[in-house]
Amino acid sequence: MAASSPSNSSLQPLSTAENDLQPFFVLHKASHHGKDRTSAGQGKPRKRNKLSLRSPQSANNPEGSSAEECDPHLCQKTQIEAFDIVWAKIESTIKDVLRDLNASVFNNIQQWVMECFNTTRLVGEPSIAEATRSFPVLNNTTPLKVYSALVITRNIEFVDDIMTFEELGLFLKSHGCHVAMLSSMEFSLKNGIAGCLKALLREFLGSSFDPSDIQTLASWYREQDNYNKPLVLMINDLERCCGSVLTEFILMLSEWVVKVPIILIFGVATTVDAPRNIFPSHALECLCPSMFMLVTPAERMDAIVEAVFIKHCTTFNIGHKVAQLLRNYFINQDGTITSFIRALKVACLLHFSTEPLSLIQGRVIVEDEVRNSGLSPETMLKYLEELPSYARNEEVDQTKKSMAEGLSELLTVQKLWSTVVLCLYEAGKYSGVRLLDLFCEALNQVLYPSRDSVCSKRDEKDHGLSSTNDPCQQYSIMQSGGSICQIVRKVRDLPSGKLDQLIESWEELTVDISEIHEKLKILQSSVRCKDGKSSRRNSKDISKRGVSKGSIHNDKDSRMSNLHAIAFLDDLVRNYLRPIEGIPFHEIFCFKNVEKLQLVLIGDPRRRIQVDLLEFHNILHCSCCNKSGKALLPSMHDSSIMYSLAQEHGDLINLHDWFQSFRTIVLQHTNKRKQKPKQTPLPKKRKDMSGSEDQNDASIQARFCRGVTELQITGLVRMPSKRRPDFVQRIAFGI
Amino acid sequence: MLHPHRSIVVAPSPENPESIFNKFVLNFIFEDFSKMKNNEHWEEEEEDEEEDLEFSRNYFLAKEVQSSVKKSKRKITDIDVVDEQELREAALHIQPKHENEIARLMDSYTAMYPEWLLSLSCGFALLMYGFGSKKALIEDFASKTLTEYSVVVINGYLQTINLKQVLITLAELLCDQVKAKRRVSGRQLNSQSIEDLLTFLYEVEVEDKDFFVCVVIHNIDGPGLRDSETQQFLARLASCTHIRMVASIDHVNAPLFWDKNMAHTQFNWCWYHVPTFAPYKVEGMFYPLILAHGSASQSVKTASIVLQSLTPNAQSVFKVLAEYQLSHPDEGMPISDLYSVCRERFLVSSQVTLNSHLTEFKDHELVKTKRHSDGQDCLYIPLTTEALQKVLLEIS
Repeated sequence: MAASSPSNSSLQPLSTAENDLQPFFVLHKASHHGKDRTSAGQGKPRKRNKLSLRSPQSANNPEGSSAEECDPHLCQKTQIEAFDIVWAKIESTIKDVLRDLNASVFNNIQQWVMECFNTTRLVGEPSIAEATRSFPVLNNTTPLKVYSALVITRNIEFVDDIMTFEELGLFLKSHGCHVAMLSSMEFSLKNGIAGCLKALLREFLGSSFDPSDIQTLASWYREQDNYNKPLVLMINDLERCCGSVLTEFILMLSEWVVKVPIILIFGVATTVDAPRNIFPSHALECLCPSMFMLVTPAERMDAIVEAVFIKHCTTFNIGHKVAQLLRNYFINQDGTITSFIRALKVACLLHFSTEPLSLIQGRVIVEDEVRNSGLSPETMLKYLEELPSYARNEEVDQTKKSMAEGLSELLTVQKLWSTVVLCLYEAGKYSGVRLLDLFCEALNQVLYPSRDSVCSKRDEKDHGLSSTNDPCQQYSIMQSGGSICQIVRKVRDLPSGKLDQLIESWEELTVDISEIHEKLKILQSSVRCKDGKSSRRNSKDISKRGVSKGSIHNDKDSRMSNLHAIAFLDDLVRNYLRPIEGIPFHEIFCFKNVEKLQLVLIGDPRRRIQVDLLEFHNILHCSCCNKSGKALLPSMHDSSIMYSLAQEHGDLINLHDWFQSFRTIVLQHTNKRKQKPKQTPLPKKRKDMSGSEDQNDASIQARFCRGVTELQITGLVRMPSKRRPDFVQRIAFGI
Repeated sequence: MLHPHRSIVVAPSPENPESIFNKFVLNFIFEDFSKMKNNEHWEEEEEDEEEDLEFSRNYFLAKEVQSSVKKSKRKITDIDVVDEQELREAALHIQPKHENEIARLMDSYTAMYPEWLLSLSCGFALLMYGFGSKKALIEDFASKTLTEYSVVVINGYLQTINLKQVLITLAELLCDQVKAKRRVSGRQLNSQSIEDLLTFLYEVEVEDKDFFVCVVIHNIDGPGLRDSETQQFLARLASCTHIRMVASIDHVNAPLFWDKNMAHTQFNWCWYHVPTFAPYKVEGMFYPLILAHGSASQSVKTASIVLQSLTPNAQSVFKVLAEYQLSHPDEGMPISDLYSVCRERFLVSSQVTLNSHLTEFKDHELVKTKRHSDGQDCLYIPLTTEALQKVLLEIS
């Protein structure tokens, strides 16, 4: 304890006292030493990843390896690089997925923009004299309309749309449009129409003009290069804009539409009615709306999960509990893809900062990218060997073989796992099962052995099966509940046409995995055989006995096919759906630390600051305060005593009472002390401090004041109002 | 026993129950915060809000089990408060508790430094929260771990912060790094708008990808940074490629400042719970002592500290008022008179500017309003003539 005190004092050097009252100051500038180190370590920036990831081991001999292991700087560099590589990979996967999802809508929008553009061109180009005049062209008695697209985002939160609209902007730009993007922030009462124009000019012309004038835009657009391209203005959150400002803006655009034919694209979060609620009728008349739909967040989420966690399951993966956390956070609290991606990024960061094995991953991925092959156990093993801990270990050679086996098993098992999940998801599309749910269930280790054991029981009774009432009940996956069960139930009732489709799609999915593909072949042949029989029988039936009986037979047969399909799924789930957490070496690319992730991802200041105050001894671990359970002791932190006392009050705390109870508790201490006959020889200073009763009062009052101030800083109490000068208000109730 | 207020919660109302509930919740959450944001309307709105808030608080109170305490009628004046000077003196010499434990706790956080550095290097920002002043901790982290990077500290707990100056400093630091002669020189930076500066910071290209300037913000929820515009600027600053942010919050409702775009995309916070239990020494400097609150005179020291943190113009406005009060000890100064004097001396350009100065003064209780006999609102400084003279001496 004593040793640690000096470091505390070093935390508050005297020189900073001046800085405390500066609104801001430069603490220090980047050290040259540091800069040199970074630049030297980096080499050529372009090749940096590959070079430095490979270099540390080859540069260091075995003696140096222990030093290297301890060098936090180098370790950190490796961590950062591994994170950069892995995250860049995930991010590009996600971007591709989202681009593919939006592709058709984006194409439609682009076509529509071109159509609108061509229509406006038909009106005719204004002459130079007309175009440079400072008032709009009004050659028709009927005002021209502003083309506007309502892009229904089907999203409550606007944050995902920002991303989508940025992509749309890039897409349109690449197809030869001038694109400006404004947000509701520009269309606020405070900014007014002038602010909108300024922002608009900044977007189109690239610099701000004072005073902003739409004529500037008109003459810019007259320039030959610009004139051949459509002008597109995107406003991604229509509902959040100030109606009156936007109305004025649109009226202005409609007047200038001949000179500046701006095409509007609105992001609409609610319904198609949104413009009607925002604009008055005369503004609505100026708009010529079309409608486009984006995919829902849930669909986007499933596409991302499929690409990141299932198809590329060996880049980076997460454990069941982490998946559960992310799922619940998405479904119950947040609902945005942005947060999900961010959470994934944080998980990735924590993976590299907390899991030592993770570092191999970055290197292996680099190596494999060079060779353009998948993650291979050979490469992984190569890097495992280079790990200092392995280099020092003489027994490595013996274990090498088994390790190689372990690693390759891990990869095979993962591949099988992902194929099974994809097969289930394909079947799940008929019952509307979300991939996110299925993914969580497929990761659940608790379910895996139970599936297994149920099956073994089934095997025992295998022969008596035909006698059970519902033959489907024999399959363990039918009994587990959850989304897998739901999927299988749907497969049971699937009409034969759809079943054939499903089996076909399974064929595509399993084509690379021979183990599963063979089983699928068996399924296909048995189904085909049934089909053949039934069709033959059908023709006979129709000719001989009529249609009704035939259809019954047909039903029975197709039901048998469904049973075969269920048996196939059951087999897959039982044998191949092994959650990653049960496989050796999964730590290399599987992040499991759910508590840590939750802490870093979701701060909870409202609850935690209160807990800090009420249960401070859990944090400080002092010997003086945690003996007596809930009783308040004078040795406790003043603010803690006061906040605990505040809990006894209602929403209003009488300052007088609060002070008195605080005083009582604080004085317990001195009374007890006085009772002690043998008082430890106190330094004179202390004696002076507690000398007279008055002075003591002053210090208690000062402590009380400081306590109130501290609680005020944390926002837990509110100061007395004019009406109630004797009370402070509690702000937070219940933890 | 039923809580006395419980009936209010279930009282029939023309509104539908759901909307009432929402109103409760929203009021409850925002009550304190909306006020903090709009300081100028504090006084006027307070009375109306009281009624509304009574509802929301009672909703939550009704859920608390043990809260059937009778409302006490005791007055704050019943406490035998010592002389204010003495109180302030005592406040400076409060014996710290758990010093060793706190030191140990602080030391234990040094183990987290590598993780924090990694988060920063990977493009995240750090948000520190938990009870106790985190100022020393963050600065220690910055000076021990971020030696390779320039670090700018913003003291958000102060009343006024000129964000533009901060941005200029940051731009200069970045320019230093970009060795190539840029068109933007120091002088030009001064004449640029916040918007342009942010664009510059966002677009500046530095060869070294790992390079960044770290911005430490103590109390990003502090009074000087509390308006939504500043928060938007900070969020945009945080989203710049070569800027990383380390900030602390103390207010339990601080996250309400940020919408999802700001919190998740722009700031990109990693939350770290680091209670320190260190006293809020500087952070609490500008809060009035509650027991001294009722007493007539403000101490010279607080007044001059507050005044020194204000702009020279604001100080001069205060001087005008103070001089008037010294020459007319018994009457306040009508606002219109103050305005015309200040205008003559080119201290303010409009009534709005003057009002913003006055709001600042009122918030710190440097200035109060009283109604003159002729019905006019007059301003006065709640200090004795002697104290006022001292304040004037200190700030001049």
